[in-house]
Amino acid sequence: MAVHLVVVAAAVVAAVGKSFVWYYRLMIEVKRVTKTYGKKDNVFKALDDVSFAIPNGASVAILGKSGSGKSTLMHVMSSLDKPESGEVIIDGKNILALSQKEVDRFRSRAMSFIFQSFFIQANESCYDNVSLPLEIADVHPSRRRAKIELALSAVELTDKIKSRAHDLSGGQKQRLAVARAIVNSPDYLFADEPTGNLDSITGGVIEDLLFDYNKKHGITLIIVTHDPDIANRCDMQIHIKDGKIESVEGSRK
Amino acid sequence: MKIRDITIRAGRSLKQAKARTLLTSLAIGVGAFTIVLSLAVGAGGRAYTSNIISSNTNSRAIYTQAVQDFASDPTKPKKYSDTPTLSMGGGRGPSIKLLKQSDIDKITSMNGVESVTPIYMFSTKYITRIGQDKYIASAETFDSSVKLEYISGGGGGIKDGEVIISTNYSEALGFKSAEEAIGQTIQIVVEKGGTNPLQSEVKSFDFKVYGVIKQSLLAVNFTDRLQITKNDTKLLYDYNQQGTPTFDTYAGAIVIVSDNADINIVKSSINDAGYRAQTAEDLMSFIFQFINVLQGILIGFGALAVLTSVFGIINTQYISVLERTQQIGLMKAFGMRNSDVGRLFQLEAAWIGLLGGAIGSGLAVILGTIANPMISKALNIGDVSLIIFDPLSIIAVVIGLIFVSVASGILPARKAAKLNPIEALRTE
Repeated sequence: MAVHLVVVAAAVVAAVGKSFVWYYRLMIEVKRVTKTYGKKDNVFKALDDVSFAIPNGASVAILGKSGSGKSTLMHVMSSLDKPESGEVIIDGKNILALSQKEVDRFRSRAMSFIFQSFFIQANESCYDNVSLPLEIADVHPSRRRAKIELALSAVELTDKIKSRAHDLSGGQKQRLAVARAIVNSPDYLFADEPTGNLDSITGGVIEDLLFDYNKKHGITLIIVTHDPDIANRCDMQIHIKDGKIESVEGSRK
Repeated sequence: MKIRDITIRAGRSLKQAKARTLLTSLAIGVGAFTIVLSLAVGAGGRAYTSNIISSNTNSRAIYTQAVQDFASDPTKPKKYSDTPTLSMGGGRGPSIKLLKQSDIDKITSMNGVESVTPIYMFSTKYITRIGQDKYIASAETFDSSVKLEYISGGGGGIKDGEVIISTNYSEALGFKSAEEAIGQTIQIVVEKGGTNPLQSEVKSFDFKVYGVIKQSLLAVNFTDRLQITKNDTKLLYDYNQQGTPTFDTYAGAIVIVSDNADINIVKSSINDAGYRAQTAEDLMSFIFQFINVLQGILIGFGALAVLTSVFGIINTQYISVLERTQQIGLMKAFGMRNSDVGRLFQLEAAWIGLLGGAIGSGLAVILGTIANPMISKALNIGDVSLIIFDPLSIIAVVIGLIFVSVASGILPARKAAKLNPIEALRTE
């Protein structure tokens, strides 16, 4: 009898806990984050008591001038940088409280990045460039090729699979970077000025790729930019100035 | 990240920096080359020595001498001792203590001793043949355990009144060929001991040529000595030495141990009786020691080259880390662990070590294989390998160099592992 009670109680606790976690899975919550650089007299507050929440699956633009702290905010949200105080809660966990090993694991499975200057390996083939996140996430070698081919076809670079990345044009390089970012089906994609080094036409192609992927796969897209056109395509705009949130506009449509 | 993937990535990034990788590897290759070659030369030297000694000495023979007094101060007068001594330099120079006939008899009576042949020290005045010039030569007792390379004659066994000469003497004494010499008579002329050297009395002994042997440059046993039987040696010795102060004394004696006795027990009992006894094995270990010291010096040079290459690897790897700062940052952003980033650079260093070790030892093997017959020919030692490569020791050298490279890669790898990803990605 007593055993039955314990089993039932355990089941109830598990069910409640699960739905609780599931509820938090819907959000990225940034709570009272403060990040400073420098020491004593030269203290510079890159982020000053920043708080906001992003629903999962949203596209979010972080806007601000250079030096406003928008890049630092992205680094903190992706746990590349550790703030002095505050919490970043993703999937119900405060990622700032995780060990380095757990953070790396989380980042390799759930997060992805696109940078203004591409950071693709010019000497490697497109295949090997896209393969990197799969290798880091310990995806079994036999399952890699299909994923890589899928990602490259999504950015229309299938015919370049064996080419050296060096031989690609700027727009193709950023498309390769997009393929690399989506190959492991991340939940969160961070893009730091993704069109900053591209002309408006090729930049537009990259934009379309990112927003399509956001809509189709329900991935949370966070774009750091100062381009108002990109920002207007996002569900949400977070304006940041001097390390402080100036305004948070829009919500998921 | 799996070691397999890291290894492939490390190899790939080295391939991209071909020239740099190759040059760094070559530095460590020089070390590998020197070490592998000196190991091979040492192994060849030891094999050759043991071959020479076992074919030129009797494994059941003990070389016995009187205990020598090398320790006394040569600047001070020496104490007189009753032991017969062969002095050089008027008593102040080095001297060799000799064995007396009573010593020989004493050793002969020991357990396990089959026979004792004293080393007869005598000098022949010259050798000649009717109608030919006179030549200086020395003679020694034929030892049946020493394998001689006969050009002609030989077989059966040398009898009293017969002599074995080398091709040198065969030609000098006017024989057209080694075959022609067999059975011909030559004369060994000896001075009578104790006579006035100004009016010396000499006697000519006739010997029939029993065999002509090839003379070898490197043989321990200098085969251009004439070889005669023990009885003939005694005959010449008696004629030459009777009446001199060193008559019936010997520089040493060769003790043959009977087949059922343990050579080491006989050796220690001879030593206990107050003599200095050495077996062929002792002689071999002495020469081995010499070879090992030489080999050690060569390996030392190789180690020096490896030490130099360590700095090369550290330098190359630091540059590699600097060049790939962004790549490191990107990999870390995608969740690559710091320890894996460090491992990536250590494996790169390991590749350099493997490549250098393989290049160096490969060249050593090629060069050694080409040079081996040339060296053997130049030294006139026949079909003998002086350079012997042992696959196991080559593998050990290569593995050792891989470890050295990995150790050299530690500092750059640590720099890469500690790199802050944000700083790394900011680098333009």
